[in-house]
Amino acid sequence: MSGKDRLAIFPSRGAQMLMKARLAGAQKGHGLLKKKADALQVRFRMILSKIIETKTLMGEVMKEAAFSLAEAKFTTGDFNQVVLQNVTKAQIKIRSKKDNVAGVTLPIFESYQDGSDTYELAGLARGGQQLSKLKKNFQSAVKLLVELASLQTSFVTLDEVIKITNRRVNAIEHVIIPRLERTLAYIISELDELEREEFYRLKKIQDKKKIIKDKAEAAKAAMIAAGKDVGDIANLLDEGDEDLLF
Amino acid sequence: MKGCIFNIDGGYLEGLCRGFKCGILKQSDYLNLVQCETLEDLKLHLQGTDYGTFLANEPSPLAVSTIDDKLREKLVIEFQHLRNHSVEPLSTFLDFITYSYMIDNIILLITGTLHQRPISELIPKCHPLGSFEQMEAIHVAATPAELYNAVLVDTPLAPFFVDCISEQDLDEMNIEIIRNTLYKAYLEAFYEFCKQIGGTTADVMCEILAFEADRRAIIITINSFGTELSKDDRAKLYPRCGKLNPDGLAALARADDYEQVKAVAEYYAEYSALFEGAGSNVGDKTLEDKFFEHEVSLNVHAFLQQFHFGVFYSYLKLKEQECRNIVWISECVAQKHRAKIDNYIPIF
Repeated sequence: MSGKDRLAIFPSRGAQMLMKARLAGAQKGHGLLKKKADALQVRFRMILSKIIETKTLMGEVMKEAAFSLAEAKFTTGDFNQVVLQNVTKAQIKIRSKKDNVAGVTLPIFESYQDGSDTYELAGLARGGQQLSKLKKNFQSAVKLLVELASLQTSFVTLDEVIKITNRRVNAIEHVIIPRLERTLAYIISELDELEREEFYRLKKIQDKKKIIKDKAEAAKAAMIAAGKDVGDIANLLDEGDEDLLF
Repeated sequence: MKGCIFNIDGGYLEGLCRGFKCGILKQSDYLNLVQCETLEDLKLHLQGTDYGTFLANEPSPLAVSTIDDKLREKLVIEFQHLRNHSVEPLSTFLDFITYSYMIDNIILLITGTLHQRPISELIPKCHPLGSFEQMEAIHVAATPAELYNAVLVDTPLAPFFVDCISEQDLDEMNIEIIRNTLYKAYLEAFYEFCKQIGGTTADVMCEILAFEADRRAIIITINSFGTELSKDDRAKLYPRCGKLNPDGLAALARADDYEQVKAVAEYYAEYSALFEGAGSNVGDKTLEDKFFEHEVSLNVHAFLQQFHFGVFYSYLKLKEQECRNIVWISECVAQKHRAKIDNYIPIF
């Protein structure tokens, strides 16, 4: 499995410290991201239930509005052309605001009425009441549509972000942290091995020194026995001490 | 119009008109229609009536707007046949009837030209009964005032403009106010014309037109509450040929809410009866429904007398009401909203 190896780094104590710090950082990051993902999920579910509710309500409101259109047509006659020919600009406009959820900006749409009602006097001589009821019904339908639009964009955006965040959480949990742990284990094992080697070298030198010392003692004893040497006499020209080995 | 000499010019047409009137849907037909589940059923039931196979060539699925168009087409053909075969004074009478559609068409063309829509788009949207020769020439004008000077002076509607609207008014006024002012002038002119014909025609038509004038005055008053229409402007829109003139109209001009309007109507027996049953609750009939019913009953009574022109006017209005009823029932069936399907206005 590629990518799950350890990092290529020279094993040393400094490197070990570095790796430890990085591991701690990765674990902290993992915890924080998990919290973010959970917060987003909560918001996501809330939006989902609201969407379902709004959509069913929408069905009824549209049915009501279409029926009031039929009623108005019955009383007023055909007013299609009156409306179509008099249209200049939109009466209901939308402003977008930003809402922040755990660091994710979601757009919220808000509708407002721009200018006065140009069709105030339509149906003056016939069917005015039905027309005003019709206008009210369709206005509420538009408001509901705007709300639904906000909810749906939030839904889509949140979905994206949740996917990304979850991907990152999983990456940290299953790739980064194991890799760091492996690296750390490798460094520790290398350091241990170096220490063992060092220890072995020291031991070997100690043994060798002992053999040389024993040999020197034996030669000295032989010389003293033959009456040629007089034993240890301090010599001013001697330099330093012997190596001090435990 | 003496009975004996009426038939020389008008006999064939009156007979034809009464024949058409017999083809108007009866209550049993409506009962069949409200029980339909789909528009195809509706089409099948209509085939058994006077309408015959008028929807035969339409591709399915059927739409309510198609039904609406076809109903209107049939009515237009019948009316134009009557018009083509008529002589004076019946032809002027029938022309007067078409002026109301002409007013609607002109208003449509004015608004369309004001917003720079191409004329070829607007012409098909006009009501066929209200077409006049100068329609094509309207695109030369850019403002309503120019429009008037260039085109409208030659139409039969010119006198209605002259009486009440000046050039500057055309540019400034709200289009709905122009429409209602024209209609007021039209109604008063029609009333004078019928009075001048005299005899049974005057009896029948003047009653119908008086009711129409009063109905418009009441409805305009009620609908203008809460809008920017001032009381003076409103008073200028009341036609003066009805029973409410002059005291009732003056009282209406001063009214501020629905209760005051109802109080004015109390003075007139027929109108107080209409206000009685009306209400805005869910189960009640609205005031407009009551007005429609009264209009239908007046039109039906016109057929009780012979040798007068009122039958043509009544026939057209009854046929229009029938079209509206059928479209209403079709909408209820198509939208599966059967709660108010019985809200059509029964004719016979």
